Amino acid sequence: MAWAKQGHEAAFRELVRRYERPIFSLLYRMVHDRALAEDLAQETFIKVLNAIGTYNPQFKFSSWIFKIANNAAIDHLRKRELETLSLDGSPHATTPDEMSATAPQLGDRGETPLQELEARELGGAIEHAIARLRPEYRTCILLRHVEGHSYEEIARILDLPLGTVKTYIHRARNELRGYLEDRRE
Amino acid sequence: MTDPTLLHLTADETELWALGLLPATRDAHLAQCAECRRVAERERKLIRELAQLTRFAPEFGFVERVMAKVKIPTPSGPHFRPHTNS
Repeated sequence: MAWAKQGHEAAFRELVRRYERPIFSLLYRMVHDRALAEDLAQETFIKVLNAIGTYNPQFKFSSWIFKIANNAAIDHLRKRELETLSLDGSPHATTPDEMSATAPQLGDRGETPLQELEARELGGAIEHAIARLRPEYRTCILLRHVEGHSYEEIARILDLPLGTVKTYIHRARNELRGYLEDRRE
Repeated sequence: MTDPTLLHLTADETELWALGLLPATRDAHLAQCAECRRVAERERKLIRELAQLTRFAPEFGFVERVMAKVKIPTPSGPHFRPHTNS
């Protein structure tokens, strides 16, 4: 980090290499679109590296970069009114028919190689279950159990009270178990 | 004071057990409580499944695409250093 703060190009590259998969994975699971996730990941790294001089080493670097990535995803989802890309369909849908009509059909599309890849990567039971979570639950569960952040770090990343983070994670795990058991029965 | 081996595990403790971090005094409760054991096993299975999720990679050349757009600081101020293959 010290080398990166001094502007060493090799250190910049190393940071991107080290975090490209975790950051891209989080964004991909948030937006369910490879190309969009890559754009948001690029935006995240460019923001981080261009502002590296302002980085406060009192906080973990990973907390800082995940905070910027999460904000990028949330801003995008709000701007485009995609919100959750929930498998239950549009958040504005009020009837089962509307929900069904607006729900993304993972695994059933296959029109392009990229869509086929996305369906393959995100088509498993656990990925489907994660995709059904509210975005705030999804971020929390991914940061906790995929990235291994502590509750305190997640609270800092998401600017949420610690108690809220704990509640979100417990609820998310309950929902995931429910979705997975429904599919397996 | 209540014997800690008699109290059911909280959600936090169930997670600690799934991660192998539950103190022995509370661990003893699991040996005698089928309900807590069942809940804890389900929790551990889910947490393991999440921990094993794929770390997806962006398209090849991602690092270069980022580096081409980053301002590299120099003593005279930041500048763009376009990527070269050399």
